[in-house]
Amino acid sequence: MVAQRMWQEHELKDQYDVVIIGGGVHGLATAYYLTQMGVRNIAVLEAKYVGFGGSGRNTAIVRSNYRTPEGIAFYDLSVKLYEQLAADLEFNVMFSQHGHLTLAHNERGVTGLTERANTNQLMGVNSRIIFPEEIQRIVPDLNVFGHSRFPIQAALYHPPGGIIRHDAVVWAFARGVDRGGGHVHQKTEVTGIEVQNGQVEAVVTNRGRIKTKTVLNATAGYAGLISRMVGLEIPIETHPLQAAVTEPLKPFLNSVIVSSTLHVYVSQTDRGELVLGAEVDDHASYSLRGTLSFLEGAATHLLELFPHLANVKILRQWAGLCDMTPDYSPIMGGTPDVKGFLMTVGWGTYGFKAGPASGYLMAELIASGKTPPKLEPFGLTRFYEDRLVGEKAAASVSH
Amino acid sequence: MAEDHGSIEFEFDGHRVRAESGQTVAGALHAAGEHIISRSFKYHRPRGLLCMSGRCPNCICTVDGTPNVRICTQAAKPGMVVKSQNAWPSVKFDLLRIFDKLHRFMPVGFYYKRMYKPRWMWPVWEKIIRRIAGLGTINREHGAEGVYDKQNLFTDVAVIGGGLAGLNAALAAADAGVTVTLIDEQPALGGHLRHDPELVEPISDLIRRVSEHPAITVISSAGVFGCYEGNYLGIQQGQRMIRLRAAQVIVATGCWERPLIFENNDLPGVMLASGVQRLLHLDHCQFPGEAVVVTDNAQGYRVAKQLKAAGTRVSAIIDVRDNPSETADGIRTFRGHTIISASGSRHVNGAVIAPLAGHPRQSISCRWIVQAVGFTPANSLLYQNGCKLRYDESLDQAAVIQHAPAMHSAGTVNGLHDPRDAASDGQRAGLAAAEALCSPCLSVSNPSVETALETQSHRGETAPMCHYVSPSDAKKKFVCLCEDVTEKDICDAIDEGYSNIETLKRYSTVSMGPCQGKMCQSASIAICARHNGQSIAETGVTTARPPEQPLPLGVLAGRTLHFSLIRRTPMHAWHEQAGAKMGDAGNWKRPQVYSSVPQEYEAVRQRAGLIDVSTLGKIELRGADVVQFLEFIYPNRFANLKLGRVRYGVICDDAGILLDDGTIARLGDDRFFLTTTTGNADAIDSWFRWWLAARPEWDVRMTNVSASYAAMNLAGPRSREVLKKLTDADLSSDAMPYLAASECTIAGVSVIVLRIGFVGELGYEIHVPSQFGLHVWEAILEAGREFSIAPFGLEAQRVLRLEKKHLLPGIDTDALSNPLEADLPWIVKLDKADFIGKESLARAQQRGDRNKLIGFRLSEPVVPDLASLVLCDGKLGGRITSCGYSPAVGGTIGLAWVPANLAGNGQTIQIQVNGRTIPAVVQDEPFYDPSGAKLKS
Repeated sequence: MVAQRMWQEHELKDQYDVVIIGGGVHGLATAYYLTQMGVRNIAVLEAKYVGFGGSGRNTAIVRSNYRTPEGIAFYDLSVKLYEQLAADLEFNVMFSQHGHLTLAHNERGVTGLTERANTNQLMGVNSRIIFPEEIQRIVPDLNVFGHSRFPIQAALYHPPGGIIRHDAVVWAFARGVDRGGGHVHQKTEVTGIEVQNGQVEAVVTNRGRIKTKTVLNATAGYAGLISRMVGLEIPIETHPLQAAVTEPLKPFLNSVIVSSTLHVYVSQTDRGELVLGAEVDDHASYSLRGTLSFLEGAATHLLELFPHLANVKILRQWAGLCDMTPDYSPIMGGTPDVKGFLMTVGWGTYGFKAGPASGYLMAELIASGKTPPKLEPFGLTRFYEDRLVGEKAAASVSH
Repeated sequence: MAEDHGSIEFEFDGHRVRAESGQTVAGALHAAGEHIISRSFKYHRPRGLLCMSGRCPNCICTVDGTPNVRICTQAAKPGMVVKSQNAWPSVKFDLLRIFDKLHRFMPVGFYYKRMYKPRWMWPVWEKIIRRIAGLGTINREHGAEGVYDKQNLFTDVAVIGGGLAGLNAALAAADAGVTVTLIDEQPALGGHLRHDPELVEPISDLIRRVSEHPAITVISSAGVFGCYEGNYLGIQQGQRMIRLRAAQVIVATGCWERPLIFENNDLPGVMLASGVQRLLHLDHCQFPGEAVVVTDNAQGYRVAKQLKAAGTRVSAIIDVRDNPSETADGIRTFRGHTIISASGSRHVNGAVIAPLAGHPRQSISCRWIVQAVGFTPANSLLYQNGCKLRYDESLDQAAVIQHAPAMHSAGTVNGLHDPRDAASDGQRAGLAAAEALCSPCLSVSNPSVETALETQSHRGETAPMCHYVSPSDAKKKFVCLCEDVTEKDICDAIDEGYSNIETLKRYSTVSMGPCQGKMCQSASIAICARHNGQSIAETGVTTARPPEQPLPLGVLAGRTLHFSLIRRTPMHAWHEQAGAKMGDAGNWKRPQVYSSVPQEYEAVRQRAGLIDVSTLGKIELRGADVVQFLEFIYPNRFANLKLGRVRYGVICDDAGILLDDGTIARLGDDRFFLTTTTGNADAIDSWFRWWLAARPEWDVRMTNVSASYAAMNLAGPRSREVLKKLTDADLSSDAMPYLAASECTIAGVSVIVLRIGFVGELGYEIHVPSQFGLHVWEAILEAGREFSIAPFGLEAQRVLRLEKKHLLPGIDTDALSNPLEADLPWIVKLDKADFIGKESLARAQQRGDRNKLIGFRLSEPVVPDLASLVLCDGKLGGRITSCGYSPAVGGTIGLAWVPANLAGNGQTIQIQVNGRTIPAVVQDEPFYDPSGAKLKS
């Protein structure tokens, strides 16, 4: 069998209609949907290799049980696009919708989840509160009734939630861009953006200058740096988020389990590894080094939920960078200050699950010049106008 | 281990195996002729012992219920139950080996290309995949057992590795006058000299000097799994985790052998030379039958001689080099040759060899294929700590080009395979580390060491790049044994476009298994480089991440698993004796209810009640600039807070979001006593410290006195009479009016009394030194007996405060609530100088309220769940944050967030309850004592 290449390597052209900075899920998805909408003279510029950043470091959870109506509508679109992604891109991205459980261990937790369940149901998203007997039925290995410092009182059960093969999503989108006529340039680093009379004119890279009228900043960790190239300050603070994976075990855990009281979440991949993570680190940093205290905390809390995993071994830990906005919601859209400069940034800890929706809507915005209604609440101007989208409570640990 | 010759028995897959005492499980199985130990991950091919050093995945078994244990480093113990994994029905006859035959249908990444059409097929396939995936099985019955603990240590110099370089480094540093901690993963010092004794003259004297040195602490059988920021080492020693902080770190971790890549190189009977040596010298095993040694260095010749001495017939040495300097001692030698393939189905029965060009080929029958084709340095701790390494062609390994600060490396990890070089390199590193700590100690300059790198004898003269990959197109040349990735898989993946080493890893899964690349890293990089037409240096390496070796969750968690923190107030035992129902509030245990909510409610409203509020955060601030600090932290005013007065305050963040509330009492000109809510006590402590750190010029001294004071709230119309019996202080409303703060003596104890009333009655919040908390608590209850005083819990308190519309931060507010909208507009003084959140609150005030926290009375006698929704035309309008039955109103009341246009007094809102909506009326005034007359009485 002759191998079919996923993507070609191209010479950097000196002009593209749209230049997208960042070869992660957001940049590639936007590029893919642009090619589907007939905008084909486009380039995705990636400083390292596709999926180097958050797209390759996240824990691949997909869900739509958010808190605000804006968030729910947006992530619901994303889940639906993910459901048909394998067929669209002809690549098995292994979206396994085995359900997502957010546990509450105290009254306040139960109240918060009840509110989300009520709002989710109002918006037509499959999500409900369940209690210990049912939790135990769905996750037989979970320590629901055994000794525990903070016994589980209830859970928000979200059946369409699950995990996906994150790298596969990135590769499939990259191939989709390539097949659609777009260029994916790896090892291509943006060093400057030229603006004249408030209009983007060119992007300068380590491989040369590209003339373009439209630039999309689809980066993470460096979103502020890219925006500053056009003189724009955006309210983002970068925090590391850590995760770890265990050795493969015979699968016993189908659902994604999240506990914000215990600051831990865990799922088991189809290869049998347990993937676990916590909240973002307290302090802002660009460090991609993991810490021992993360491992200790995550292990302690995981063992509260699954005590019989004490002799299961951690294989590796890693960290990714999360661009946090003040309201824990992303920034999508353009800015009146610089024409032709658009953003899909500030994706915090919830970016991967949004990839297709943000890509689709950003492509629509770029192709049509009009902001789709689902995108409207997430514009940069909300910070000037104090119209925040309060996802802080829902996003804290459940990413 | 040779001292004790008693033999023991253990169980392997249901039958008994005898082991010499001290022998490893793997050694015992080898001696017993058990050569199929495991089945491979994907193709279920039989696998046998390979490295004998805990690096490769081949000997992974379940031991006494613990999955994925490497039995080659596990000492055999009597009665041990060892089971093979990932095979059905048994490791000897595994029906799933069918996948090996089907392997052309399962090329690299095949699962990305299939099983997704039509959409419903994937869940079906996934079920099957999840049935066969994974290695060990978790132990539901006994997995939680085991005693774990943690230890914290510090040292001047940490030396990692007890081989020749490490021993010399430790000794040199310790002799220079610093303390040294030597961490070694083997049970005895000596590194690879333990199993390669002929390499150098005996080092027992060196080991003795290290062991007896007063400044050296040796931690044996312990692996350093991580080198974290600031030379913070994570060490696993059995079920103990040691956290070691070292001023200087010397990495002398040596290297491990890499396998040769040829067809069927994974068959049982194909072993690494060092694995063979470990079995020969440490486990006293033999290798019956014929062996072939393939090599490019002197070690191959040594192992051939050692095998011969142990009775094995070594039929050939296959030397990759054309002109080796070693002599074969009568063994037939093929120069410039390599192994093309191994034959056999369940065990090696022969080898096909050929010149490096690939032809002509010839077969040699043999039972063992021993590989000595070079090393991969154990450098992951160097990478972890930020050292820069680059592939060095002359060493054929990555070499450090720049060390991280306070980090050194020595010995074979630096490519110094000659023992004399390694020893002097160790001395050099030891002295360098010591000198970094105490400059006058000893001169480091030692020219003979400096030049060791340049003069050392290279292992293989002009060996061609990646000669350890044999020249053939065979399909089953395994590179990654953990994940069953072949050379062809890697080349195919690169052809598909996954040419970056990181992308290649993620797509082909090479190096992602339990060994984390220890066996496959060299070869996968070499193949990737060759196929991309790049150099090995250009290809780079995948990032090294902790832990260096797989690490049990129990070791990381330590004892906390069995010792969860519980905080109890000084009155805890009293509450329990009184039959209170206790509940969790963070780590605290708090009384929820003693008798019943209506009874306790009535006591407070009619007579007197007492609640334990010891869990409040308590902070004392002293200094000339405290007022300035308070003015900056709080949106309301404190400059005018008089001595002996207390004021309510909220804390906001920069965005004007309400974080917490509490009281601020002025007990002296420069002395203030603050309370925070129970849940935010720690957060506010850090918040204060954060801002104080930003203003070092301020004279503010902060003491967290949360645990020093017990606190209780005496409330109710008779509470003054109760308290009067216990104090000489003047409690009259003239002397101690509402919002007075004073220090006085109650029941013989000096206390702080705040006249505040969260529950809306005449009340006193009394802060008592913790050790007298119970005494004062009991004294008040005794004094109140004649007034029928009753203790009350959190549940009654919630109703009482709800009737007063007092909000609870975090319950009635969320991450978007500012005090303007949370019904506290009076608290925000925008005419003040700068304070945290001022700008945001000014903007919020300018744009007007969007949502408001309001009180409501429900029209029906039901109590909705908390977080029930407020609907406007069927859409989300807001939500309930608190609600309950109010005896004062005789109906359900609550607090809710609603759109500002619905927030006017008397307006009707719709609340969703069990699928229908119930109207409720907005009420501005508190539901109880709206004028506050009772509070101020």
